[in-house]
Order: sequence, then structure tokens, then C-alpha cells
Amino acid sequence: MASPEIGLLGVVILLALLLLGLRIGAALGLVGLVGLMVTLGVEPALIKAGVVVIDVLTKYELGTLPLFLLMAQLFFAANASRDLFDAAAKFLGHRRGGLAYAAVAGCAGFGTINGSSLATAATVGMVALPEMRKRGYADTLATGSVAAGGTLGQMIPPSGALIVFGIIAEQSIGTLFTAAIIPGITQMLLYMAVIWIVVRLRPELGPTSERASWAERGKALARIWDMILMIALVIGGIAVGWVSPSEAAAIGATGAFLVAAIRRRLSLAMLRSAFASTLETSGLILLVIIGALIFSVFVSVTGLPDALGAAVRALNLGSFGTLLLIAAFLLLLGSVLDGLALMLLTTPILLPIVGAAGMTPIWFGIFLTRAMEIGFVHPPLGMNLYVIQGVAKDVPINRIFKGVLPFLASDFVHLLLLILFPALTLWLPGWIGN
Amino acid sequence: MSPLRSAMVWIGGAALIAATAVDTFAVIGRQIGWPLRGSIELVQAAVLVAGSIALIAATLADRHAKVQLIVDRLSPGMRHHVGRFCELMTALFLLCVLAGSAWLAIELWSSSELSEIIGVPWRWMRLFANLSLAIALVVVLRHALRGRPA
Repeated sequence: MASPEIGLLGVVILLALLLLGLRIGAALGLVGLVGLMVTLGVEPALIKAGVVVIDVLTKYELGTLPLFLLMAQLFFAANASRDLFDAAAKFLGHRRGGLAYAAVAGCAGFGTINGSSLATAATVGMVALPEMRKRGYADTLATGSVAAGGTLGQMIPPSGALIVFGIIAEQSIGTLFTAAIIPGITQMLLYMAVIWIVVRLRPELGPTSERASWAERGKALARIWDMILMIALVIGGIAVGWVSPSEAAAIGATGAFLVAAIRRRLSLAMLRSAFASTLETSGLILLVIIGALIFSVFVSVTGLPDALGAAVRALNLGSFGTLLLIAAFLLLLGSVLDGLALMLLTTPILLPIVGAAGMTPIWFGIFLTRAMEIGFVHPPLGMNLYVIQGVAKDVPINRIFKGVLPFLASDFVHLLLLILFPALTLWLPGWIGN
Repeated sequence: MSPLRSAMVWIGGAALIAATAVDTFAVIGRQIGWPLRGSIELVQAAVLVAGSIALIAATLADRHAKVQLIVDRLSPGMRHHVGRFCELMTALFLLCVLAGSAWLAIELWSSSELSEIIGVPWRWMRLFANLSLAIALVVVLRHALRGRPA
């Protein structure tokens, strides 16, 4: 009874359930389960679900996720976001638009200890926005730089999205993290280029601040050296293969405990809050992964990816055209689905098509994460925009969107660069591997 | 936070600390020539406990990811109905997963599954995971019966 039509029907029902507000994990899993019951029978479907749930809960590689989340919570409690922004502001604040550069740099720094766009935008926003507005920065530039900069949290390792992709697509999380380093850095540089252009054209949007002395800069650096050391150990350790991602996450969490303890921020109340947040976010992601794995079995049983792949090949678009078509599809779907749903719905379907277009799953993981990030800053979803509005309540959402538009343009350029130059993604893991 | 919920958070937190400590000692041990035997199996057990509790914690706090685009634009009455429908669908999914997992656990109970290196008793781990799934199911059913907007 399995056929691509059944698979397509499943996808349509899934979209309907997602738009009705059903939990993403439950929607994926339920459609997958019912689909498997229809195609294979009730008993194999239930057994498969039972196997998947225990596999996920005992997956050693998945231990990476809660431990990185714990590390982020502990660093957050240790005031990491304020210190990272302060250090960047001391070095860049005297330049025109300097605090906007510092906000982007702070987001990139916070992205290295936390894998979420929303958390990065919210925490750096709480620190950077009041400072920028106090110094006379335009609302558009201030909110736009933090909303866009927040998406760096998702790309710069450790990234929650890349861990989930690695599990779903059965790819090395370490290689994905290494592959994300250059795209993360180029994304940050493009955002800085946008700020440079904006303040060249409209200098009044980002006034200069007083120059910090080298003594002040030294003090600011002294407050973050321990975090930089931990981050270098964690990301460097994974990149050179010294530790596995799970071990790196454990070392990161241990380091975060030590940093919080040295800063006298460790208390029972803080620990309970960190544990509760870590467990709640882990539970959210675990349910989604369980559902997505069941859904992906259903999709592959129906032969839908092969049929879609054949249809795309029949269009004779070539490799570049196929990837552009996929990018357009992801951006379109990303405007109605949240990032996680987009990734989990499209990975099992698009991965074979991307493979046929000559790209590797590692490249696709980075590309998909980049496309997901764009969904965070454009309406109607644009979660980062709403997060920033939560921080700067008096700034209307259309002003925030206006501010983010130049960054959104740079996002499209970056996505195009990733398609045109796959080496941006694949060179570093290949070089380190050799 | 109720005492029960607080206890759950501390147990989950203890499992996270255990996983952190085991993997950290494993790395240090490897570097100084004292490898920690069975570290992966220990982490797997700790991650199962933390993950099982995490499923309950996310359900209790209603932290599960949803797409709110259309739901936010519905009338309050409609949102209420849609919310109940979504809770029931989630309960159905959890019930199916629990049924499959419990089925396997019952089949494998008499074989006294142990991990290869240090003998982690997997049947008790499966039991813990199934109990957690059952608790999450009860939480979702309670939400459905009480009725809450999507």
C-alpha cells in the first residue's frame, strides 16, 4: 500500500496539523505512526515507535544537547552576555555604529556558548539595546542589529539546530560543527559590512561613543578570558577531534560550573532554575526528534523522496538551479513554519534530492540551518523580531522589521554564497580531516 | 514550584551532573592513561533518566514547540476547541509510543538485558522511560480534560 501519493498525503496532513497548533513532535510522530500503520500494519508501526523512543533516550550522541544547554544556562547565570557585549563595546564603541558592531560581536560570542537564536537575541538584546538607545542610536539600527545578530546563535557551534540535524540525518555532529565555523564567521562579517554601509549612508543612525582606554579594555578582557578559554577548548577540541561532541559538552558544562563558582554565582536557586530550563528545553527537542524519526521512516517507506527527486531531475535545472529551487522552497515554507518544523519536515524529503544535485548532507545541514535562521527575522513568523520587541516594548514591530531589512538582504547574499561556493562549508572539515 | 516538581527537577539535574562528570572524567582519564571503563554506558543511563524526566518537565511547563501563526488569529472559543483537539492528538501519539515501548519492554523483561561492559540493567531503564511516558500522557490528558486554549 506504500506509494509516493500516500507520502504526499501525509505531508499535507502534517502541514494542516502543524498550522492547527499541534505540538510539532506529536504532529510529526502521529502522521508517521498512522502512515506506517496504513502502509505496514499496526504491529510494526507500534514496535517501530517503541524502538525509536528508547533509541533516542539512550543515544550517547544526544547527550550533547542537554549538556550544552546546561553549559549555556550556567554561563548565562554567570552574566556572560553582559561581559561579552561590554568587551566588544570597549574595543568597537568609539567607531561610528560601534555599539551595533559590538552587539553583533556579542551575539557571535554568546552564540559560542548557546545554540539558540531566540536566547541569543533576548539576552544580548537586554544588555545592548538600552546601551545603544542611551547613546542615541536609531531604533531601526539598534533593534535590527540585535535581531539579525541573534540568528548567529543558531549557526555558530555549538548549535542546537545542527545537533538535531545530525541526529535526524545520521551525520557527524562534530563535522557539522566544524563545517559551521566559516559560514558563522562570514555571516557575522556580512552583518558588520551592513552596519558599515548603513552608517556611511546615514551617519546619524549610529553616533560615536567615547574611546575606552587600554586599561578599561584590559579589564573587560579579564572578565571574559575564562569563558574564551572554555569556548576555545570546546570548539577547538571538537574541530581537531581531541574530544567527541558529547565529551566537549561535558567539559563545557564542567567549565561553566567552575566559572559560575569562581564568580560566586552558584547557588541552589540558580542551579534549580538552570536544571529546570535545561530539562524543559531538552524535553521539547526530544519529543520533536522522536516524532521526526518516526515520520522520516514513514516518508522513506512511501518512496516520496525518490519520486520527488525524479520529478526535480526531470525539470533539467542542473545543480545550481535545483539548489536555488530548494532555497526558494525552504524560504517560502519557512515563512509559515517555525525553524525546527521546517528542518524536520524537509530533511527526509530534500536530502536525497540535494545528494543528487551533488551536495553532501553536511553542506545541506549548514544550508538548511541558514535558511531556518532567515525565518527568524522575516514576517509573518520572525520570532526574533518579537523577542526584540519584548525587550524594547516602545518600538513598533514595523520599525524593527525596517531595521532588519538590510541584514535580511545580506542573509540572501550569504545563502547564495553558500550555494556558489560550497567550500565555505566543506573546506574546513576536509582540511582538518586530512 | 510544588515539592513533587522540585524533586523531579533535582533528579533530572542529578542525572545531568552525572553525565557531565562521567564524560569529563573519561576525557581526563584517557589523557592520563586511566580510561574510565564503560563511560559511554554510564552516560547512556544518565541521559535516559534526564531525557525521560525532560519529557515530563516540558509537558508540565507546556514548553513543547508549536506553530502559532494561525491559532493566534482564532476567536477565543475556537482556540479552546482547537486546543483540546491538539491535546487529544498529543495524548494519542504518546499512547501509541508508550504502547510500542511497553510491548518491547514486556517481551524483553525475562531476558534480563544488560549492557556489554559494566552491565547496566536495561529492563529497569526501560521501565523508568515507560513510567515517564505514562506520566507525560496523564499530564496531557489532564490538560485535555480541563480544556485550554491552543
